[in-house]
Amino acid sequence: MTPNAALLRRIDLQRSVIYLGFLAIFLFFALTLHDDGFLTSRNLTNIVLQTAPATIMAIGLVFALSAGEIDLSFGSVVAVAALTAAVVMQTYPMVVGIVAGLGAGALIGALNGVLVAYLRLPSFLVTLATMGLFAGIARSMTDLRSIPVLNDTFTGIFGSGSLFTIPSLVLWTIAAVVIGHIVYRNTRFGAHVLATGDNARAAQVSGIKVPRIRLSVLTLCGTMAGLAGLLYAGRLQAAKYTLGESDLMTVIAAVIVGGTALGGGKGSIIGALLGSLLMGMLNNGLILMGLDVSDQMIVRGLIILVAVAVSLRDTSR
Amino acid sequence: MKLLIKQLATSALLGLVSVSAMAQTVGPNGETATLSAEVTVPDDSVAAIQAANYKAALLWHDQSDFVNAVSAGATDEFKRLGIEVVATTSAGFDAAKQRSDIETSMAREPDIILSLPLDPVTSAAAFEEARDSGVSLVFLSNLPAGYEHPRDYAAIVTDDLFQMGKQAADALASAMGGKGTVGWIYHDADYYVTNQRDNAFKTTIENDYPDISIVAEQGISDPARAEEIANAMLLKNPDLGGIYVTWAGPAEGVLAALRANGNKTTKIVTLDLSEPVALDMVRGGNVAALIADEAYELGRAMAAAAALRLAGKEVPAFVAAPAITVTADNVAEGWKKSLNIDAPASVTSAN
Repeated sequence: MTPNAALLRRIDLQRSVIYLGFLAIFLFFALTLHDDGFLTSRNLTNIVLQTAPATIMAIGLVFALSAGEIDLSFGSVVAVAALTAAVVMQTYPMVVGIVAGLGAGALIGALNGVLVAYLRLPSFLVTLATMGLFAGIARSMTDLRSIPVLNDTFTGIFGSGSLFTIPSLVLWTIAAVVIGHIVYRNTRFGAHVLATGDNARAAQVSGIKVPRIRLSVLTLCGTMAGLAGLLYAGRLQAAKYTLGESDLMTVIAAVIVGGTALGGGKGSIIGALLGSLLMGMLNNGLILMGLDVSDQMIVRGLIILVAVAVSLRDTSR
Repeated sequence: MKLLIKQLATSALLGLVSVSAMAQTVGPNGETATLSAEVTVPDDSVAAIQAANYKAALLWHDQSDFVNAVSAGATDEFKRLGIEVVATTSAGFDAAKQRSDIETSMAREPDIILSLPLDPVTSAAAFEEARDSGVSLVFLSNLPAGYEHPRDYAAIVTDDLFQMGKQAADALASAMGGKGTVGWIYHDADYYVTNQRDNAFKTTIENDYPDISIVAEQGISDPARAEEIANAMLLKNPDLGGIYVTWAGPAEGVLAALRANGNKTTKIVTLDLSEPVALDMVRGGNVAALIADEAYELGRAMAAAAALRLAGKEVPAFVAAPAITVTADNVAEGWKKSLNIDAPASVTSAN
């Protein structure tokens, strides 16, 4: 075998690790838990429903990471967007609530974007700061109270409803993945995002408006987090300041396991979907196995570590 | 005596007496609390329950010593009744995760769910499917909005939250000789359990101790910030006679602040058991008392209530387990009674 062929095989392994890993873990749970409800259509649907908000956020994050930026604030954006929508809908029609919720997400994303793109501040630090800032704002918005969402149309569209027997959260996931994938792979914007993340200076020289790309990806990240907030509010029929708080690490892990490079220039929307489903499947399967909570955390951590190690291992070393 | 207890327990099960009122801890609809000790599965029902091969899921809000002790109490009682625990989860205070945990555990088709609903509003929808499938639901301390007893759930079991706050106030007042100034560090979150306890402390000090005044109030949401909060409080009020801390985790930070300031006079009282805090107490440090609940007993009573419901018996809507004031004098007994484990050797040997 020539060195080139060996290298090619390694790269293929790296690329397909998420598919193989996903399949292996699915088969493992399917075999060990077949009597415990894992393979029931209800349970498999649950995994997709439970991971829908994380998948939506992961798609936003793929764009940000691919452009060489990171967003740590999306967890806080989820809570702000959900609370904004819930509060607005108490007085105004549903559509106003939806626009307000998504708008809040987009605005926070744009704020991150302006600070990063035009004030040249590192996105890690900017979004670290806005994460705390908006977590505080979410807490103070309703004085820590949960706000019920009583609009049945809203909870149908964003939570418990279905269209032709397909649950709405599954439809949101499919729509976001399909549109995200097409934009990422087949549009000029997607190509510019990757070029910016790969080498910002070269991209600038070749005529790509790098600051505008940075502003766009962070705004997109905020908007997707806003949408995730609406999905949470629809699913729980309420909004609360704790929504999204624990999603940061799950979403980052999903995106990295799915083959998106932390350093930019490389990523995959389908990978992010599988990464997110993998996280949900691990949570689900480990609970159904009857493990106690500490063991669930240990096993989940180890599996993620292995997956990240395989997908990130630098073959040139 | 034994006969009397048995009679009391039986009559409580039959719902004939609403039994001993416990301080001001009342249920969400004003129900009087029934003593947890009165919720027991009678011997003649055990065989039938064992034969039914019931399954239970323990869907907790978080992980802690307290949750471990509640789980242990429930698991031991389930073992006695031949009920298998098929799923155990921790939501880490995340309402969305709690909803997912419920959905996931439903795949194992449990007959019983024991859980602490994180928030009345968000948990109303989360428990809907389980409720509609006829699962015997027993809630710890909190109730989903709109749920009615006995239609929707078997029982709420709780620690006597008011008594915990009140006993904390009594213990601190006693350590301060009934006079002086107090700092009140409360849990700054919309969380029923801590809110009730914190307010009971405040109310008791204000109503029962005219010579003690609360001069500083500070909310805490991140236990890791307790030390800086206590430092700021001491800076503004160097003569504080006592500090109430909402639970033991942040109390460790407050203790660190007092030590760093060389303060040996300000007394601390807090809720729940913690080894470092108890160690300071038995060594005659700042900590005057720890107020604990009977966590193991809570778990046992939850399991019993759930099984009674499946056996078709009446279950009281609102059940409370008593609070215990743990001081240097009764630390070993208090620990055993609360968590059903021996107090750490460091604590008992220092005593």
